[in-house]
Amino acid sequence: MTDTDTRRFTLEFEHVSVNFGGLLALSDVSFHVGENEIVGLIGPNGAGKTTAFNVACGFQKPTSGSVTFPQLGRSHLKPPQLAKAGIARTLQGVGLFSHMSVLENVMAGAQSRPGGGLWSSLVGQPSGTRHERALRDEAMGQLERLGVARFAGALPSGIPYGIAKKVSIARALMERPVLLMLDEPASGLDENELEDFIQLITELHDSMSVLLVEHNMDFVMQLVHQLVVLNFGQVIAQGSPSEISNNPDVLAAYLGIDE
Amino acid sequence: MDWWRSLRTQETTHSRFIGMLSLTVLTLVITFFLPPVADSQLAGGAAIAIVVLGLSWLTGWSGQISLGNSGFMAVGAYAAGIWAHHHTSTPLVFTLILALVVGGISGLIIAIPSTRLRGPYLAGMTLAFSAAVTPLAQNFSSVTGGEGGLFFNSLVTPKWFLHLFSGPYAAINANAQWSADLAVVVAGVMFFFMANLFHSRTGRAMRLVRDNDVAAELMGVNLARARTSAFVVSAAFAGIGGALYSLLQASVRPETFPIGLSITLLTLMVLGGIGTLSGAVIGGIIYSFSTNLVAHVNSLTGVNPTSNVGANMQGMIFSVLLIVTMLFAPRGIVSLKTPLRRLFRARPLAPAAKEVH
Repeated sequence: MTDTDTRRFTLEFEHVSVNFGGLLALSDVSFHVGENEIVGLIGPNGAGKTTAFNVACGFQKPTSGSVTFPQLGRSHLKPPQLAKAGIARTLQGVGLFSHMSVLENVMAGAQSRPGGGLWSSLVGQPSGTRHERALRDEAMGQLERLGVARFAGALPSGIPYGIAKKVSIARALMERPVLLMLDEPASGLDENELEDFIQLITELHDSMSVLLVEHNMDFVMQLVHQLVVLNFGQVIAQGSPSEISNNPDVLAAYLGIDE
Repeated sequence: MDWWRSLRTQETTHSRFIGMLSLTVLTLVITFFLPPVADSQLAGGAAIAIVVLGLSWLTGWSGQISLGNSGFMAVGAYAAGIWAHHHTSTPLVFTLILALVVGGISGLIIAIPSTRLRGPYLAGMTLAFSAAVTPLAQNFSSVTGGEGGLFFNSLVTPKWFLHLFSGPYAAINANAQWSADLAVVVAGVMFFFMANLFHSRTGRAMRLVRDNDVAAELMGVNLARARTSAFVVSAAFAGIGGALYSLLQASVRPETFPIGLSITLLTLMVLGGIGTLSGAVIGGIIYSFSTNLVAHVNSLTGVNPTSNVGANMQGMIFSVLLIVTMLFAPRGIVSLKTPLRRLFRARPLAPAAKEVH
């Protein structure tokens, strides 16, 4: 680990513990996500992956330990501060806004950017209109980039699951993130869509760091640079995919047991 | 035809302004042809439409419910009434802005505890507020005039307008129409503001909160602030609507704003269509002419209007209307325009919808 310590990290967990009234959900968890690195967080059900995600996002306060974003110079962010700080998180499932069109969903990703407040909205300042138009073009551009532009006018309920996943990525990209956090991005995708996804995230990591929680091991192994394996709230192993797949502890705890 | 398209989609402030202006002028023209009674009813309906629009914004856009908007109306009405009672020379515009601001502030005060509550709890909290307003107004009689209320005559028909009328009832006709025209103009201005809000960044923030609050927070929306500002806007609209409503009656009294009015507002909003400008207009129109409907039903059925049944006829008619509307147009009367449009237009609907399957 000594050689990596000189790099700047995007996210750093230091001795994070979370205690749910006696139940230790996370115990002394330390790991980091380097700049432009793709890190996978894996582990059996109930290992604490989602809790770790929630701690990073400020949905859950750690009982002890610290969560910092050295590259951003921030720490212990609350959920509404994330987007502005440059952290985008997708939700399990798709988490889209169900009564808004795909295009509006993607535009929503830019909600944290400075723009008009209530007063300027009420009087309809022309700058607000220009801002909205520019946003719409940018959102359309994101949809085109992901190859789903033809669904722009549809409602989330009317599009296939794989497309909706891409829309949620497009929305996250509108936040111009430095750190992209993906909560089970592969779930519900077929093989072709997975291929697409691996390619997409590989492209993205040129400009951002990626932290993902995932069950699908094939997907994770092909994609990530580093893996962090959790079991019963503890980090039992960290390393490259090849190191992890040969680690006997991991094999015993997770890989050996087919879910 | 780019300008026409932008007018239809209400994309720019300019197009929304032109749209609201033409609708307002059209309504003003109509008032010239209406009898004085209908003009007065229209004026009341315009005031109520503003309140319904504010409620519609709160419910349809921010996803919160309020049974307290009659209370916010009362706050605005008393603010205007107390001021106008003591300062008779204040221009009407100022009195209305005062009602708007005071209404908004009352909304802020109620919102701070309320936005922590959801659904039925929020409804209960706001209901308690509107229930408290009438006794408060009755008890602080040195300020509010108590049971008898306050009288003020801010709505003076200007001379030039009076000169447009002649005949034995010129003054009555002119007064009725002046109040209608004034109410229509105020409503036009408020609808323009709301149209802007609907198409703005703030409007989107509300829909994010309504649809998925966790995701909205991750987009950077401060949930408490969004919910609070939704309340403030809704209460400000109720405030100015309530003030206008009282100005038209030249008085403000506690019983003008019973709890039942909050329910009526809710009914009108649902009848018209939640979260839409035209839904609020429809709600206002239904309110305007509900007295005619009541009179008609009473005469048809031979019910004595002063009897118990007669006195509650409006409520019964609204209930029947509500049930019928929910059966045939669950999204309000405004949703009927889609099948109508389909009937008159041969070309397919939105191209985006076609590509979905």
